[in-house]
Amino acid sequence: MIAVTPAWKPASALGGFFAMALDTLVALPRSPFGWREFVGQAWFVARVSLVPTVMLAVPYSVLVVFTFNILLLEFGAADFSGTTAAFATVTQIGPIVTVLVVAGAGATAMCADLGARAIREELDALRVMGINPIQALVVPRVLAATLVAVLLAGVVILVGLVGGFAFSVFVQHVTPGAYGAGLTVLTRAPDLILAMIKAALFGLAAGLIACYKGTSVKGGPAGVGEAVNETVVYTFVALFAINIVVTAVGVKVTL
Amino acid sequence: MTVASARLPRLSHTVRRWADGWTRVGIQTRFYIKAIGHTGDALLYYRSELLRLIAQMGLGTGALAVIGGTVVIVGFLTMTTGALVAVAGYNQFADIGVEALTGFASAYFNVRLAAPLTAGVALAATIGAGATAQLGAMRINEEIDALEVMGIRSIGYLVSTRVIAGVLVVVPLYGVAVLAAFASARFSTTLIYGQSAGVYDHYFKTFLYPMDLIWSFLIAIAMAVVIMLVHTYYGFHASGGPAGVGEAVGRAVRTSLVSSAALIVFLSLAIYGQTGNFHLSG
Repeated sequence: MIAVTPAWKPASALGGFFAMALDTLVALPRSPFGWREFVGQAWFVARVSLVPTVMLAVPYSVLVVFTFNILLLEFGAADFSGTTAAFATVTQIGPIVTVLVVAGAGATAMCADLGARAIREELDALRVMGINPIQALVVPRVLAATLVAVLLAGVVILVGLVGGFAFSVFVQHVTPGAYGAGLTVLTRAPDLILAMIKAALFGLAAGLIACYKGTSVKGGPAGVGEAVNETVVYTFVALFAINIVVTAVGVKVTL
Repeated sequence: MTVASARLPRLSHTVRRWADGWTRVGIQTRFYIKAIGHTGDALLYYRSELLRLIAQMGLGTGALAVIGGTVVIVGFLTMTTGALVAVAGYNQFADIGVEALTGFASAYFNVRLAAPLTAGVALAATIGAGATAQLGAMRINEEIDALEVMGIRSIGYLVSTRVIAGVLVVVPLYGVAVLAAFASARFSTTLIYGQSAGVYDHYFKTFLYPMDLIWSFLIAIAMAVVIMLVHTYYGFHASGGPAGVGEAVGRAVRTSLVSSAALIVFLSLAIYGQTGNFHLSG
């Protein structure tokens, strides 16, 4: 038995995660919906994520635009810097930076909060009172993470495009008009919709993972710290896995 | 002071918050200088702790070790970005009929862009967040105070050793990261999109500069120092019970993501400058 347990651990954790995701889905349309919790959590995630999002979007977009512009200058096609900036920002940087921050700032705090409640047996107390913690706590949090991820993706894209503009025009001497005209050459409405879908999926995954790790914490303060650490790792892994699949599908759909 | 705060409550509050912010910057800076200053002590006196940390960081702890540890996570993350470079690069190049250059995209974008950024994210999530969680739990359980009472230099023993271990671990980890990115880009281009391996390898080898790769390793090492310092600071100064440890992890991840991204930008601008070191147009 002792030899078998470690091998089964990831499988049972994965099963537990999907069971909770299913529970959340089932509890979603049931009333009463925790509006107060939803608004509070959405406001909280947006508040802790906004400044880091902007601060992370600027270096990422500058680095991408800078690296692509070197290539474009070599081709003699620097006028198209707006095209690569828009393409990279909308399809990749927007959703990814958003969820890095939502996972790093929002999901960790959610997991810490739920984990602290779990080890203080507050979740058991809720169950005793006949309140389903999934419906009262998990559903609003997951929806809040999804909503804020979509909203923040818009901010990241805007900041990325402005940052790319400043860098291309003032540092690499691209004509402002050419940058603006190039924006829509490759990137069109379907790409933008796909980016928003991606951000929503990422936010959903981050919220679900955070709530699962938070509600299943065991073993005191060290357990909460470890659960938060695992939340970060698993969210990032899920994010990159979802990203490659959605990008490959999106390339097929939009081209 | 009391008179002023009674008359102008909002102003004095703002001023106090502003001053607190500066104090925090000062405390952080002092902590970082101390941590770097104690690296000599760590190498001299705490060698066995250092070895233990290196093993722990390489393999991960708890549930992370079960799924293969830090190596697997870092490898997986860069593998997906490598595949992404191939997917995006191949399709965009195919639009203008030069999909043969996907090998070039892999050699250029993976080294300069995808691998450092992804490795930074992966390092912050694995060894960084792990260090914050460990140190935070130690602080909450008053183990750090106990170390001080026993006369052990707590910063040297806990922080400097982690910084050194992070730097030593990042070299093989980054090697795995770059290899995973290259392998997955080649795999998806040649096997999924069906480009001939010879074409891919030709352009890949033509445009892969060993010097760029070495710079990229140096960026990764610099990033490891920054990430470990930030994460140990937040863990070392955690407060507020179990939830406080979790919040410290979140704050540390946020700060280290931003600071490592900024570091990559400035180092890339300083190292590579305005040139690509390649001559496509002849």
